[in-house]
Amino acid sequence: MQPLQQLVQQIINGLVIGSVYSLVALGYTMVFGILGFINFAHGDVFMIGTFFGLVLLGTGHFNFTAALIGAALLTGIAGVAIEVVAYRPVRRFGKGFEDTMLVSAIGVSIFLETLAQIIWGTETHALNSGIHSVDFQFWGLNVSSIQILILVTGVVLMVVLHLFVTRTVTGAAMRATAQNMLAARLMGIGVNRIIAITFAIGSVMAAVGGMMVGAYFDAVYPLMGWTAGIKAFTAAVLGGVGSIPGAMVAGVLIGLVETLGSAYISSGFRDGFAFIILILTLLFMPSGLFKARKGEGKV
Amino acid sequence: MRLRWLYWLIGGIILFLIPHVISDEYWMHMIITTGMWMMLAVSMDLIYGCTGQLNLGHAAFAAVGAYITALLMLRLEWSYWLALPLSGLGAAAVSLLVGVPTMRLKGLYLGLATLGFSEIVRLTLLMWASVTRGPMGLPGIPLPTFGSFTFESKTSFYYMILALLLFTVFCVYRIIHSRVGIALMAIRDDEIAARAMGIDSSRYKILVFVVGTFFAGIAGSFYAVYVSFISPDSFKMLDSFMIFAMPILGGIGTLVGPLIGALILYVLPEATRVFAQYRMLWVGILLVVTMVTQPLGILGGLETLAGKFRRPKNGVKAE
Amino acid sequence: MRLHLTAIALAMLGLLAAGPVRAQDITIATASPLTGTCAQDGNAIKNGAVLAAEIINSKGGINGRKIKVISEDDRSDPKEAATLANKLTNDKDVIAVIGHYNSSCTLAGHPIYARGHLLELSPASTSPAISVEGAKPNSFLARTIITDADQGDFVAKWMVKDRGFKKVAVLWENDDYGLGLKEVMEKRVPAYGGQCVAVESYYMGETKDFRPILTKVRGLNPDCIFIGGLYNEAALVAKQALDMGWKPLIFGTDGIFSPALVKLGGPAVEGMMFSGIFLSDAPIPIVQEYSKAYQAKFNIEPSEFDAYSYDAMLVIAECIKKGGATRDGVWGQIHSVKVPGVTGLNVFNASGDVVKDSIKMEVQNAKIVLAAK
Repeated sequence: MQPLQQLVQQIINGLVIGSVYSLVALGYTMVFGILGFINFAHGDVFMIGTFFGLVLLGTGHFNFTAALIGAALLTGIAGVAIEVVAYRPVRRFGKGFEDTMLVSAIGVSIFLETLAQIIWGTETHALNSGIHSVDFQFWGLNVSSIQILILVTGVVLMVVLHLFVTRTVTGAAMRATAQNMLAARLMGIGVNRIIAITFAIGSVMAAVGGMMVGAYFDAVYPLMGWTAGIKAFTAAVLGGVGSIPGAMVAGVLIGLVETLGSAYISSGFRDGFAFIILILTLLFMPSGLFKARKGEGKV
Repeated sequence: MRLRWLYWLIGGIILFLIPHVISDEYWMHMIITTGMWMMLAVSMDLIYGCTGQLNLGHAAFAAVGAYITALLMLRLEWSYWLALPLSGLGAAAVSLLVGVPTMRLKGLYLGLATLGFSEIVRLTLLMWASVTRGPMGLPGIPLPTFGSFTFESKTSFYYMILALLLFTVFCVYRIIHSRVGIALMAIRDDEIAARAMGIDSSRYKILVFVVGTFFAGIAGSFYAVYVSFISPDSFKMLDSFMIFAMPILGGIGTLVGPLIGALILYVLPEATRVFAQYRMLWVGILLVVTMVTQPLGILGGLETLAGKFRRPKNGVKAE
Repeated sequence: MRLHLTAIALAMLGLLAAGPVRAQDITIATASPLTGTCAQDGNAIKNGAVLAAEIINSKGGINGRKIKVISEDDRSDPKEAATLANKLTNDKDVIAVIGHYNSSCTLAGHPIYARGHLLELSPASTSPAISVEGAKPNSFLARTIITDADQGDFVAKWMVKDRGFKKVAVLWENDDYGLGLKEVMEKRVPAYGGQCVAVESYYMGETKDFRPILTKVRGLNPDCIFIGGLYNEAALVAKQALDMGWKPLIFGTDGIFSPALVKLGGPAVEGMMFSGIFLSDAPIPIVQEYSKAYQAKFNIEPSEFDAYSYDAMLVIAECIKKGGATRDGVWGQIHSVKVPGVTGLNVFNASGDVVKDSIKMEVQNAKIVLAAK
């Protein structure tokens, strides 16, 4: 294969994995935009979503698409449940308890991972999505249908979300709450409801991302939320926490850098690239690419 | 109040007698390891509880200390007593690398930076195989010797960690109850106001960061000789999170809080080890339940040891 | 304080739950990953030892005493292994330990076992670093599995000399195990006249996306791929390559050898080749007997690691017979016993290593069989 084709092939690889990171990053960034904390349990929501899908597929009654939708719904509910049980009560204590919420999130994360390990064991499971992967060859490149599916789904979902947030009333309420929760409440916006919706959307996105990844790698395991989660919130930070377009772009960027770095520099250091990006962003551009919400970043 | 010295005496005697009363080596092992976690929790609290700096990578500094000790003792055959302080200094030096550039970051951003940094440390230890033997780790770290006495028994390690822990607690106590401590309190409550009063907040924040990580390095150094084997996985990200949770669980800004937090978060899963996988389930539940019911930690509303360093009741923190 | 007391109470309950040990029982422990990505092999190790103990006990035990097996989980984590080593060493009843699985765990536990004079007999760790440790005096370390130096050499010869594949791409797991194999390959492949055109690493249990590596490697046109790692990743590599429209010939050592490979890999792993020692349906009487007994008890097919573990138990039993049921007694015999087992004749050299012949195997029609060539 020619070097140019290699490069393009790797770029495709990077875009695909990047769009998954974007999907998950959206959950992080939306929650941070409104609540001001990084929901460390989000990566595990991603994982639980994939396991829901695994279970549904395993019953034999669902095909991949149906299982995907089913998993997304279940995960959305799970996400809201987590918010109600672990975060909402902390909010009642007033402002300034983000770190408490952080520890609570850590607790949720540990709980979910352990639960998954108990139910499904720690080994890797094959997803057996039943998707017949067709391989497209052109210009000396190989693109599989799964890769195309991921890219298309990612783009579609992100566009839909963007439209939702900018063109609907609920979307406007979400943006208002993110900007100033107190003012939003004074204006009669049911803040708790909006927050629940935010968590639901984020969790649904994560579940879709998870199912995609599960099909792509054909691997589902309880710790899968960990690495993907970290890269996703790096993406959220890079894009500017609270900024939805930021998360989308940043996720893809990280996927690209990681893949190209892995191919051309060192495959062993693959995960390190994301962290280097994280640190560089925080040092030189803490508000991210598309500025974070007002007042964040520096002292 | 008069009898306070009596309580101290009794406490001291109990601490001294523990290894002579408990003969089960496994329990001694747990107690010793708990001591190490306590050191990490207290030093963490100095950084977080006193200046509000979110440090999510504390375990990485312990790892640095552990590797410094291991390498010095294995490759250069230096004595443990030389390696120990150097490990602390090494960890502190590394923390400067992190602390100085990130000085202006606040809150969560600092936390993320420390997180990213700690992962980079781990990956460096993993990839720099020529020095650290990468994933294979460093086995066979020699035991500390003092003249003709070798630290081999659990009892000897117990006294060592006890001494180190007491030293750590003492230092932290002195810092908190000094003029520096007052400045720290001011910074934590409202950094901008403190700066307006002429307090050089950056200098104090770095100071506390460096001191805290110094102790983390010492704790790591102890771990290296106690277990005789370290690898890049010895101190993981999850460990940093647990260390972070310890003071919060026990009560931030108090001296005793982190100790309690360490005790619970380490002993609980170990004691329920028979239940195999279920033990971590309880840790997760415990964290959530505690945060939701008593966000100021177990010691939250109570007075601290000297009664000086009290968290405001309404929990409002400046940012 | 109260919490501490509760903790102590809970722990005591735990100790009680472990059950009483009769004074005449001989306690032997297994330490392997019962949870984690290597859980399949870890459990196999536990099973093999348990089966061996059962059979020995049914024949009257060792000098009339029964063997009691306790199984511990090291989670493939060296820190956990060190903690377990502490625990087992301090349990005065434990005479010997069959463990661990991951080389890094075996190495982590080693200094502690050695200090406690407790034999650590590994049925699965293949890193050459263990030979180095085992050769030291009073190492209390040995293994029934052949080392990577031998296995790697065997596969290198197979690929380059026997099959004529000169250009080899090496994918290795970034830890002791993979590192050992990588180094062997880098030496032996050229020695047989071949060339390592690519050397890429990944992290066991963590790396899931092999596409960047595979894309890069494919561009270098290798004749075959060698995987210095375990079955999980081998399955992923094969599946993802297939998804890329590529079906390379893949070789490995016994790390890949596991029924789970076929379960995880499906059609993608057809034709995958690896070295091993034990084939459950080989026409050797002792193997047939073992396979039958294993199937009957555990309802799954035996694999290499339960076989090695089984042999390890046989070895320990022989040492106890000759040297007495004490830790030093067992260690004293290890270098002089000759124990025929399911994986071959177990004779330990000065480094604690055994010498056994490997066999070539491959996946055909979703089953593991002897390789055609």
